[in-house]
Amino acid sequence: MPDNHISDSALGRIVNEIEETAIALILGLMTIITFINVVLRYGFNTGIIWGLEATTFLFAWLVLFGVSYAVKVTANLGVDALIGIFSKPVQRVLALIAAAVFIAYSCLVLKGAWDYWANFANLPQTTGRWFPTGLEEMKRTSYRGWYEVVDIPMPEWLRWLEPLMNEGEEYEKIPRFIPYFILPFGMALLLFRVLQASWRILTGRAESLIVSHEAEDAVEGVAHMNRES
Amino acid sequence: MEVVLLFGTIIGLMLIGVPIAVSLGFASIMFLLVLSETSLAAIAQSLFQAMAGHYTLLAIPFFVLASSFMSTGGVARRIIRFSIALVGHFPGGLAIAGVFACMLFAALSGSSPATVVAIGSIVIAGMRQVGYTKDFAAGVIANAGTLGILIPPSIVMVVYASATDVSVGRMFLAGVIPGLMAGGMLMTTIYLIARFRNLPRGEWKGWGEVLESGTEAGWGLFLIVIILGGIYGGIFTPTEAAAVAAVYAFFIASFVYRDMGPLARPEGERNLSLLQKPIALITVFFHRDTRDTLFEAGKLTVTLMFIIANALILKHVLTDEQIPQQIAAVMLNAGFGAVMFLVIVNVILLIGGQFMEPSGLIVIVAPLVFPIAIELGIDPIHLGIIMVVNMEIGMITPPVGLNLFVTSGVAGMPMMRVVRASLPFLAVLFVFLIMVTYIPVLSTWLPTTFMGPEIITK
Repeated sequence: MPDNHISDSALGRIVNEIEETAIALILGLMTIITFINVVLRYGFNTGIIWGLEATTFLFAWLVLFGVSYAVKVTANLGVDALIGIFSKPVQRVLALIAAAVFIAYSCLVLKGAWDYWANFANLPQTTGRWFPTGLEEMKRTSYRGWYEVVDIPMPEWLRWLEPLMNEGEEYEKIPRFIPYFILPFGMALLLFRVLQASWRILTGRAESLIVSHEAEDAVEGVAHMNRES
Repeated sequence: MEVVLLFGTIIGLMLIGVPIAVSLGFASIMFLLVLSETSLAAIAQSLFQAMAGHYTLLAIPFFVLASSFMSTGGVARRIIRFSIALVGHFPGGLAIAGVFACMLFAALSGSSPATVVAIGSIVIAGMRQVGYTKDFAAGVIANAGTLGILIPPSIVMVVYASATDVSVGRMFLAGVIPGLMAGGMLMTTIYLIARFRNLPRGEWKGWGEVLESGTEAGWGLFLIVIILGGIYGGIFTPTEAAAVAAVYAFFIASFVYRDMGPLARPEGERNLSLLQKPIALITVFFHRDTRDTLFEAGKLTVTLMFIIANALILKHVLTDEQIPQQIAAVMLNAGFGAVMFLVIVNVILLIGGQFMEPSGLIVIVAPLVFPIAIELGIDPIHLGIIMVVNMEIGMITPPVGLNLFVTSGVAGMPMMRVVRASLPFLAVLFVFLIMVTYIPVLSTWLPTTFMGPEIITK
């Protein structure tokens, strides 16, 4: 049984609406850009040069943003064959261990995500191999805000970034810290949602972090058609 | 030794209920941090590059989206009507039509559980009405539903192609003959059982009905023509074909079938035509149904890709540590040949396929067995089809096959009854698996004929 934990409060509903719409919007944009590029190539013998790069970045945004949502609505796929045979208390302990692993994973990836992004955003990386033990000292070469992507041109409305990030020099293409920003942002959201989900298990309001296949909701929807009368 | 520890950790984590993606990612990260110089930043980068750097995988969201638009109840009903019109008058006709409908729907949706849900819910009820036992109906659908990942276009094949750098187009073509064969074998079995047990047959409603229901269903089925025709005609890359298919499916669902979108009306009322509401051409893009379908497809993409992205970190570990090469050396030294190797692959995948979602399983197993297979001289396309068929059967192998669960939910039957009901057909699929495994030409003939002999690069 998938647990659906969309908050009933007004804020919860608004946040949920924003998350779902963002997922829909990103996928819609990816499809339209790719489609238009095909049409342009065959219809007009031209194309949007930055189309492919933009689509792949959007793809990364979709997934890295979406995972936190998947945790919130318990949509992550897992194996529930074995845990099913244990008694409820054992299941609860296992679920808590699983939650601890998920939290550890999120922390590690978040540290990595920050380090990778900071590298391109004129910000200090964290030191330490496993855990952030501090911030590195910024040297002259640590400022890499000037790195640009390959194809996507810099739009006019982002020019205000230049004095801030690039010592006033013009960006021809958008700087890399923009697409990569999803890494720390998405992973921080992920950690937050995993902590929430773990809390739900701890307080007994949820049983696990996983569903066994993607059609669980749909099965519920049609079960009435063939139920033994 | 390390490889046992690595896979032991992954499997252990999965079994206690850690999400598949996290099991893969966590175990791999531990491994990389302890045994190699890789930093966490590099791991984060490879998570990002899993999406941004793999053009082939970009086909997945588009295929998922196309199938979401096509998975509305209306499309399933039209396909079933067409199938019944075509084959319903044979002995056991409705069951045969059920298999046929599963094959067609599988091609559109590319997902086995989704096929069982959409076709099964309608066909099982229909079969009981005309006098089949529920067990027979459930057995047929549970098995036929697995065809979803074999008949192209198939998401699992895209994943395999991406994990091993073979061509998606070739994989799709390679699935055609085995897919038709599996469907054919199931239908023949039903036909024989029907003759033997005198199962009900429907009436032949004439070519008029075939034509009419065919045109209705044809709008949806044309999607397959766009995808396969587009790829083999050299018009699109598979990724573009998937995007075009998604846009096509969107227009068909909103303006031709009108099951969703601004022209849809509640059940029982006549849908509006575009002439009555021309503004729909604009509003359709902002309609709630459109947003919801995009969102559902996005959510499914996220869960699949999260697994794949983490499995790519694992692939990184495997390549770094040269693990497949080590295993290959051990196997060659022990005197194992291609036949023995394929048996081992069969067994691993049959077991794995019981527990796990197929595309996740394939990203884990493919990088491990692929280099070994190449070493042993097995055709990569053939290996891909073997893996797909294996997982297909894993999904209905007791005790815990995924499709058995879905069918038991859809049919409202206890698990054990579904298992028993599906056993005869499972036996047929096993024969099919053995044929596919040891007769490579079944998989390789079509792609070689149409796309020329392939170049294997090690």
